[in-house]
Amino acid sequence: MPTKELVTKVWIDPGCIVCDACENTCPEVFEVTDDTCIIRPAALATAFTKPLTKTIIEAAQECPVDVIKYETAAVEVSEEEAAKIFGEGESAPAIAAAGASASAEHAAPAAKPAPAAKPAAAAVAAEAPAARSHAPVAPADIGDPNVQALLRAATARGGQAGISKARGGVISADPLRTDPDNLPPDARFAKTLLAAQKTKKDPTRREAITFGTVAMVGGWAAFAAATGIVVGPAGLSFSMPRALEEPDPRVRVGPLSQFIEMKPGDVNEDYKPKGIWMIREEDRVAALNIICTHLGCIPNWLPNDRKFLCPCHGSGYYFTGVNFQGPTPRPLERFRVTVEDGIVVVDKSKKFQHELGQWEMPESHLAV
Amino acid sequence: MHYLLAESGVDRIKHAINVICEPAPFFVLSCVALGVFLIGYRFWTKPVVAAIFGGGAVLFYALSALDPNFFLIIAKPDNVPISMMMLLVGFFTWLAFRQAAINDARLEKGEPLLEAGADDKVLVWPDLVYTEFIALILCTAFLIVWAIYLRAPLEQPADPSVAPNPAKAPWYFLGLQELLVYFDPWIAGVLLPGLIILGLVALPYIDKNPRGNGYYTFKERWFVITTYMFGWVVLWVVLIVFGTFLRGPNWIFFGPYEFWDAHKLAALLNIQFRDIVWIQALGRGLPGHWLVREAPGLAFIGFWFTGLPFLLAWTVMRKVYRQIGFIRYVIAVQLLLWMFLVPLKMAFRWTINLQYFVAITEFFFNI
Repeated sequence: MPTKELVTKVWIDPGCIVCDACENTCPEVFEVTDDTCIIRPAALATAFTKPLTKTIIEAAQECPVDVIKYETAAVEVSEEEAAKIFGEGESAPAIAAAGASASAEHAAPAAKPAPAAKPAAAAVAAEAPAARSHAPVAPADIGDPNVQALLRAATARGGQAGISKARGGVISADPLRTDPDNLPPDARFAKTLLAAQKTKKDPTRREAITFGTVAMVGGWAAFAAATGIVVGPAGLSFSMPRALEEPDPRVRVGPLSQFIEMKPGDVNEDYKPKGIWMIREEDRVAALNIICTHLGCIPNWLPNDRKFLCPCHGSGYYFTGVNFQGPTPRPLERFRVTVEDGIVVVDKSKKFQHELGQWEMPESHLAV
Repeated sequence: MHYLLAESGVDRIKHAINVICEPAPFFVLSCVALGVFLIGYRFWTKPVVAAIFGGGAVLFYALSALDPNFFLIIAKPDNVPISMMMLLVGFFTWLAFRQAAINDARLEKGEPLLEAGADDKVLVWPDLVYTEFIALILCTAFLIVWAIYLRAPLEQPADPSVAPNPAKAPWYFLGLQELLVYFDPWIAGVLLPGLIILGLVALPYIDKNPRGNGYYTFKERWFVITTYMFGWVVLWVVLIVFGTFLRGPNWIFFGPYEFWDAHKLAALLNIQFRDIVWIQALGRGLPGHWLVREAPGLAFIGFWFTGLPFLLAWTVMRKVYRQIGFIRYVIAVQLLLWMFLVPLKMAFRWTINLQYFVAITEFFFNI
């Protein structure tokens, strides 16, 4: 494999006159800003500059004030890489020309001392293999008077000046759409990065939320299923007790004579804890449900006012249970009453409602 | 009780206040007070005026506490938060309307608003988190002190056959409990609270007027703000005050300086809308079938919810209808009509003891 001198480092000394020449020649490396020229960040890497050796050296040669400096190193490269870097058949001569031009210019106006950095560049160039055949482009070839003036200014200070045709420095807007082999190295690297991202991508927010939801629901479902399997039978047995403890809906409230002796309009509150008011009307005895028909509170019997009043929303009932005041829409309910052996038995499982005309049914009251 | 004895001047004042605090005058005065406040909001929100009124209210409250009956009510641990709530409602109402008054004056003069250029963005950390942390500590300390000095009342063991008299909901639900006095449980307990929640949720979709977004103003949004203040202050806060201070044993109204006598007589004999129409107006008996019997009430409710929207869209709300379109208008006006049915029904109950417009007890359909 042949050994070639490749550029490993490129920099710019102070003194740039912002002429755009270097950017036209090698836009991958140089960027001319409003007041100076800078090296693009990507070009600070050796791997980036090596393949661009040819154009970097060309740019350095063209620089009218010679502020572009570079270092080279001998590197072993394959034939086709060398060809790619230096172009077909003229790989070696390019560097040779650089070295030659540097030396030649040095020699010609020799009276003046070279600018400070010049010897370094020349030394670097001199290390190149010696095949000095090409001469620099003559300044006279350029017609533009401005450029001519620049070149004159450069050479007058003992610098080297030369201009080659400006090369189209346009890089495709989307480097990934072009042939990767023709891309600058950083674009190739970007493509590699992008490819890597495609294969190992962070989840998007939507994916994360979806995953989280599915995981949460699934987790809870699994938990519920496991709990159901373990606890379910026990829970079923709890909800279906073998012995039902329910108070007997039939309440024996006392002898019938006791209620007949009450004055009409009186209320017996003895069985209120069992949910019953015994009342005495003119011609009958009946059992009232103590639950307010409005919203289920327990009204109070006010003996002096002869009415039931609910403490929750102010519903009022006459002693008969008929509503007359407040929001309650219907009268208190009555329980079934029967007499067994002279004892009044109230059956709370059967209710009679006035608004349905049930208070005249046989067991809704005891006729006196 | 004591104004039956020789009346002093203070007793006469207390008696007058007791009369004013009957439900109908109290409610009307609340509405009038709200109206006066909203009309003259630029005057009432001036710091000096507001301070005089706020201080006066607190002073009045403090002097009222000298009355044993009033003190008995406000000193109940259950009722302490309501005194705080009234102070806070007053303060925040003043704060909002003060800024609205300033902004409205500036708008008229073409000056920049209070909020103009205000960079109210802060960092979550540390600004917000610190504020929240400090608020959390202060609230915890406050609650601990409160819990130590005002103990939760522990009453006798529960007895399914005895209800406390009066039996009161938690203070924040007393407005809803007050509604239950006037409406059937399915309306007052389910429909109206549901409509309150749904209505509040629907507000931003009904009201697409961008004015007032991000700045305080009253002049530009007087209708919606007045409607909201009516629903919030009168139909919610005032009803809580009713339920707390004015509802005594057997859920009867008592004046603030009145002794809670469980045997106070209240002659409140209900009548139904159907009785007014069939018996009093037409001078005949009630029809047998429920549909004919309740036809007047059903016709009234039907007109209220279907006829009135057309009438309003044609007359006073014509502009609103054009602005917000058919669907928004229908939803908005139904919510409004439900809201105004509440005070209407209350007024009928207080004045003529009307129990229900529609009373189909056969299947629990009462409005």
